[in-house]
Amino acid sequence: MKYAFFPGCSLQSTAKEYKESVQAVAKALDIELTEVPGWNCCGAIDAIYTFKPLYSLALAARNLALAEKMQMDVATPCSACYFTLSRTNKILKEDAATKSKIDEALKTAGLNYNGGVKVRHFAEALLSDVGLQKIRERVKAPLATLKVAAYYGCFMVRPPNICSFDKPERPTRLDELAEALGASKVDYYGKTRCCGQSLGITDEEAMLKMSKDILLNAKNAGADCMMTACPMCHFNLDARQKDIESHFSVRINLPVLHFTQLVGLAFGVQPRQVGLQRNCVSPRKILSKRV
Amino acid sequence: MKRSGNTSEARRTSLEKTNPAEAKNTQPAKTEETGRAFLEEVMKMPGGERILECIQCGSCAGGCPTRFAMNYSPMQILRMINRGMKQTVLSSSTIWVCSSCYTCATRCPRDVDFPALMMSLKNKAITEFMARDKSKFHKSFFEVVSKYGKLYEPELFVKLMDKSDFKSLRQNASLGWRLFRKGKMHVKAPRTEQTPWVRSMLEKTKEKEQE
Repeated sequence: MKYAFFPGCSLQSTAKEYKESVQAVAKALDIELTEVPGWNCCGAIDAIYTFKPLYSLALAARNLALAEKMQMDVATPCSACYFTLSRTNKILKEDAATKSKIDEALKTAGLNYNGGVKVRHFAEALLSDVGLQKIRERVKAPLATLKVAAYYGCFMVRPPNICSFDKPERPTRLDELAEALGASKVDYYGKTRCCGQSLGITDEEAMLKMSKDILLNAKNAGADCMMTACPMCHFNLDARQKDIESHFSVRINLPVLHFTQLVGLAFGVQPRQVGLQRNCVSPRKILSKRV
Repeated sequence: MKRSGNTSEARRTSLEKTNPAEAKNTQPAKTEETGRAFLEEVMKMPGGERILECIQCGSCAGGCPTRFAMNYSPMQILRMINRGMKQTVLSSSTIWVCSSCYTCATRCPRDVDFPALMMSLKNKAITEFMARDKSKFHKSFFEVVSKYGKLYEPELFVKLMDKSDFKSLRQNASLGWRLFRKGKMHVKAPRTEQTPWVRSMLEKTKEKEQE
């Protein structure tokens, strides 16, 4: 299996361990990921779109045009990029007036895009193309006794006409993945509730409250750790957990792992190779639960 | 429009303390010119196409995870657009607090694309100079990306830093250190190959927007 790999900006910096773990998992499952050469910002959900809508679309279209040259489907591990690239794909297909404007902008960069790229989330590639059966066979160190709260966030499942990883209400595919790894799933309120990432700078207090509710719901439902599929959600729930704790004077201490980190661990990959040392909330206590 | 009284008391008091002008906005404007002009304008925006379909069922307001931080609920905003209350809508906190999570659009029985509409209204508020300080984040993000082609977090943080707010400075420094220690904060700026396209594409889209 071959994909044009679009990591997105976060995976270069604040979610480095996500990239490391995606690559480790891809290697273990013989998935060939070729990074889109010279890729740029996906256009950011609303940060750039609000300010310069056409420019935001042009940025996304440039990535799609670069991927089209490679003649492969795009696989991105970032839910926000997944949404932005898919949205642009849809707009270019349905809105001829916008498409001609974007085409001209692309021409100045020496590119053109014919709409032939399919954008997929890396989790979707893993679950649809590789399949749970193959993943189950590959598990060497089952995560037995580990209780995992899968968190989907927004753009894995919403809006359903753009992001169709799973059903928009009560999705289950990540839970099934956790079970395939030998772990048990935790049912809790808020697995598709927004973590507030886009408000991180503009309305910090609201964001802290939204993330706190998700973390506490998962913890109170008995989870040992949370599993995310988006670098933004992970940043809020993991790197900012300390800020949440001090802002609301609560103790949470709930490790949050990228889904690829858990897959890697179950495959018997060394913790360092899936970047576990980079998680801000120490996942040491869950490592001891591995068989 | 009496429902705006639902805004949580605590939130309003804290708003009054920090920004009395904004707190005032939680009360509906008493005198405002209403008319179809604004409604017709909104109907042409991305996200506004189906606004007349809204049946005020409240699915959007009920499921909204950021409703607690808004002065008007999504449902109220839709109604106010219908009434032509341009000033109130464009100066509301709702359009900036919407986190584009798409819960409302997913559940809307009439397929109103509310998050896309909020992006269009933010853009409208910016172009009409009604959101200078609220749009600082969006502007800075745009500037950083159009310089490097990618996001470069340190520069974004520096641009947004409020040097007079000691508490937030300390919090940001602590977050930055936490990331740096884990090797997750790039000190070196990213370099996207063949960067001239960043400018050329920007110029072209600007030109097209004027049309």
